[in-house]
Amino acid sequence: MINLLAPPNKTAGTIVEFCRFAREKGLSAGVQGALGALEAAAVLGVGGQDLKFGLRSVLCSSKDDWDLFEECFQMFWRGSEPVRSLNRKMRAKKEGPTGVGRRDSTSLMSTGSSDDVSSEKDGALAVTGASARKRLAKADVSTLPQNDMAMLEQIALRLCKQMSRRLQRRRRIGTSRGQVDLRRTIRQSISRGGEPMNLRYREKKLRPHRLVTLLDISGSMSPYSLFLVKFLYALQKHFQRADTFLFSTNLVEITSLLRAQRLPQALQALSQQPAGWSGGTNIGGSLREFNQHYRRKLRSSDTLFVILSDGWDTGEPGALAAELGDVKRSVRKLIWLNPLLGLKDYQPITSGMSAALPHIDVFAPAHNLDSLLALEKHL
Amino acid sequence: MATSRIPAADAASEGVDAIVSGFERLGYIADRSLATALYLVTKLRKPILVEGHAGLGKTEVAKVLAAFLGARLIRLQCYEGLDVSSAVYEWNYQKQLLAIKIEEGSDKTVEEKEKHIFSREFLLERPLLQSILVEDASPVLLIDEIDRADEAFEAFLLELLSDYQITIPEMGTIHAKHVPYVVLTSNRSRELGDALQRRCLYQWIDYPNPEKEMKIVRTRLPGIEEELARQVVEYVQSVRGLNLSKPPGIAETLDCAEALLALGKLRLNEEAMEQTLGCISKSVEDSAKVKAAGSRPTL
Repeated sequence: MINLLAPPNKTAGTIVEFCRFAREKGLSAGVQGALGALEAAAVLGVGGQDLKFGLRSVLCSSKDDWDLFEECFQMFWRGSEPVRSLNRKMRAKKEGPTGVGRRDSTSLMSTGSSDDVSSEKDGALAVTGASARKRLAKADVSTLPQNDMAMLEQIALRLCKQMSRRLQRRRRIGTSRGQVDLRRTIRQSISRGGEPMNLRYREKKLRPHRLVTLLDISGSMSPYSLFLVKFLYALQKHFQRADTFLFSTNLVEITSLLRAQRLPQALQALSQQPAGWSGGTNIGGSLREFNQHYRRKLRSSDTLFVILSDGWDTGEPGALAAELGDVKRSVRKLIWLNPLLGLKDYQPITSGMSAALPHIDVFAPAHNLDSLLALEKHL
Repeated sequence: MATSRIPAADAASEGVDAIVSGFERLGYIADRSLATALYLVTKLRKPILVEGHAGLGKTEVAKVLAAFLGARLIRLQCYEGLDVSSAVYEWNYQKQLLAIKIEEGSDKTVEEKEKHIFSREFLLERPLLQSILVEDASPVLLIDEIDRADEAFEAFLLELLSDYQITIPEMGTIHAKHVPYVVLTSNRSRELGDALQRRCLYQWIDYPNPEKEMKIVRTRLPGIEEELARQVVEYVQSVRGLNLSKPPGIAETLDCAEALLALGKLRLNEEAMEQTLGCISKSVEDSAKVKAAGSRPTL
């Protein structure tokens, strides 16, 4: 057992040891943290509880760390056994391959591999050219045969490139004459005896919006969800600031997962997420989760918030409306894409959907590529 | 290695005690954790990042620290779109234009003129520049609500906080005469950058427990009756458990107690609660929740 009151020379080693221990437990402190901890210890000295407080303020850099620290400290110095897993990420990993995820992983993977096959035939497909592309753009994705997927994805990628290009150009066009930049103007005018002949302007710097996307992967969405996941993958790739979530009865963030991997690997990893593929739907609950855990991270006046869902909700419509209202207040635009809107006789009269409607800025279909292309004008 | 010999805690413990008692004298009840962190700020000269919910006295930490150290307080309030010209420095353009006009007839060369109009005389010092230009002693620099500024500004700040120097293209680099004590506060409306977080000591300020809150109310409002203070603290503590969108902080507790004093109330009854509801809850939805809970016999 390690004692805080050990002889001074040992203490330094112990503190370094503790830093390593805390890092293993998920605290974000690195080597710098260990150095800082030693500095703090040299100032605070050994004995008493001050050292603990000092270490905490050196090693922590967020509320999560702060909460975690106490546990690490107890474990390390009191030698108590780790009772529960510390890291949320670790927990997610453990739960990953069990339960709902497992069953659906096979279905996801099978489509993934058919993808690989069709990409081998890519050359042949490309020859069919524009007309095939046109047909595909109109087709409802739920009725598409599997091996058209590669093609669909290609178009989705092209669309994405187009979207982000559009945004970039807007940044240039948007440089209307704004305020006079006195600094540059005066600098320029020195050689003309201080006569500000050429005015310099400060231009507004626009940047692409931030994109936050929530995709419904519940059972009723299953004809569309694979296609839409690919679409999200493509979006993620081309938008610098895009965050992506999956939800059915609970919410799972997949941003880093999509970003880190190539599509087939990403799909495989996704299928193991404990998000309940083809499960029930609780949109209100998932949004509450979002509001609680992620909103402060994503809130900014230039966020476009996109929900991809058919609006079949088993939760309470009132709760959905309240949470949606909360989201609405902190983002620029709330977009709800509903694949069912592409059906001829669809009316958004499900209780969840009609409760949500008042808060939505843009309500659009998302059943084929044409509808996604139309999305461009809202971005 | 110098740091391998770690002394006993006596001296430090006294230092921390001094902060606790000094802060109390100035009307701020600091717990030992905060005092220790501030002691480290004064010894290690690292910036400290103070996070916590609104109304828990984050900004106050810097103010009281300045008073405690007898240092000057320089405050920078962050907001979206905060830029270098309002945070660091700006040239006094009107004066520059005038100077150019005045010197029109003189036989100075263009270079000399340029040097003149870009001298200290024409420089408007904004908070960050001020903080490193203070001549006599280290000031306390408060960077309030850093989460409101954008990432670009955060990156700029990083540079300042690592070297305590500012470069002005026309003048050169200015080094800090006395490294300021830096206090950053954040409401966690967005995540701060990794690099900035790593550079700072960290302190999370949580809602106080009833004893601490009692102590705060009685320190700040010495005129309040013990029983009324206890009622107010209990009331606010229970309201915090109601899952409001904006739970009341210590500032709200003090507001409420002050309002009761101003209204001449001796006890917190239902009528008094109704009258001071605006001190506790800051939105219609929250008010409704508090009212609903207030009608239950537990309150």
